[in-house]
Amino acid sequence: MRDFNRVVRYLAYVLELLVLFMLQETPGLLPAVFGVRPVLIFPAVITIAMFEEELPAIAFGVVGGLFCDFGLSGIMGFHALVLAALCFFVSILSKVYLQVNLMTAVITGIWTIGLTVCAQWLFLYYFSYSMPGYAFVHHYLPKYFYTMIFVPLVYLLNRGLSQAVRTQEN
Amino acid sequence: MKEFFKSSSFKVLLITIVVLLGLIIFTASAGGSFLASLLGFVSSPMQGVATTVTENVTEFLDLDGLSKAELKDMVTRLQDEKAQLQQRLADFENIKQENEQLKELLEITSERPENKSLAASVIGRDPNDVFSGFSIDKGTLEGVSVGDPVITSRGLVGIVTQAYATTSKVSCLLSEDVKVAAVCIERQESGVITSDIMTASSGLLRFNYLSGDTQLKEGDIVTTSGAGRNYPEGILIGEVKSVEKAENDISKYAVVQPCEDLSAVKDVFVIVSFPGKGEEIPDVDLSSQPQGGEDAE
Repeated sequence: MRDFNRVVRYLAYVLELLVLFMLQETPGLLPAVFGVRPVLIFPAVITIAMFEEELPAIAFGVVGGLFCDFGLSGIMGFHALVLAALCFFVSILSKVYLQVNLMTAVITGIWTIGLTVCAQWLFLYYFSYSMPGYAFVHHYLPKYFYTMIFVPLVYLLNRGLSQAVRTQEN
Repeated sequence: MKEFFKSSSFKVLLITIVVLLGLIIFTASAGGSFLASLLGFVSSPMQGVATTVTENVTEFLDLDGLSKAELKDMVTRLQDEKAQLQQRLADFENIKQENEQLKELLEITSERPENKSLAASVIGRDPNDVFSGFSIDKGTLEGVSVGDPVITSRGLVGIVTQAYATTSKVSCLLSEDVKVAAVCIERQESGVITSDIMTASSGLLRFNYLSGDTQLKEGDIVTTSGAGRNYPEGILIGEVKSVEKAENDISKYAVVQPCEDLSAVKDVFVIVSFPGKGEEIPDVDLSSQPQGGEDAE
């Protein structure tokens, strides 16, 4: 029964990532602020990692990352790699050092999403295109702050999902 | 700390990183992958539905926000427009018929085959794309291939850069990766349409490599020249907004307002075949050219 509930929880997470991917990709659904739109997958995988063990955290980091890679039409595996590594460390930190609550979720979101956006800028923009400073200030920074707004919402969603299935397990 | 590095989860992370690095190298060298096509199969139908629903809701909300008087005005305006268009359609039919008769009379045959295009809808815009690229709901199964130009009824919008089984990714003209050979027919001046992050954020393009004494003026129309055979010639790109001096040399560039709002395109056509597509440009034997720069040009 416990295994079945775990499978249900994992399926729910995959479905959540798929829906969030669709929401972030659908033109005109989320309004653009300063010409940018949020990346909902980032807060989703980070908050999932806070509730899960290391291995599932890595797996959801990879799944979410592959969605981002597919959406961007860039090199498949870049976001998957970055998010897998971050989710692994977030999972360990949440298990050993942190209490999982809204505050720690926001703090974790600040550094993890910051690192991901900086990695995007460095590897996908800096070495390929001109005016990296302008791009960082006018695209990557607004996107980072816009994405951060969704961290509490996605955290509450994942906490609800995690608790609902775990209650059934208990 | 030693225990951490010896833990099974850390080993799994290392294996995952190695596999993903392999995937990065593979997709960077081989282009599209089976994995991307698979993700396209899963996500594209749902993305299509989500996009349609969003468009319908937006349209409904836009209409709902109008007052009764505004709606009346709109109906009157649309009726007038319809009457005008019907008149123009009748004229068009007459002219078309006359044209056919004259062609027969003068024995003119169509020398060049038409462009073959495919209608597609924009189903996704990735927030990570700095240059407003988008996904369309047609892929290799429908005949789309990498390098196909993408247009709307108003003009050129971009080029297919990734073609998966059921979806394709389009880099729009605002991307730094897209360079289009262009010409201003009125002034007989040619150059290259490019963009960078600064012009892209204003939704504008640069018409580069114009001579220092360029005659280009505000309002001039820029179209594709067909040079390089990557795009059919004569497709509208935009209108000159201003002419500026280049930063690094004595040439000038024109700021071009695209004919289409590139960050809000909804329906497009992919030109899957056009006259001259894929043909190799004949090599020019420089040794047989006459001496002297002007003659060689």
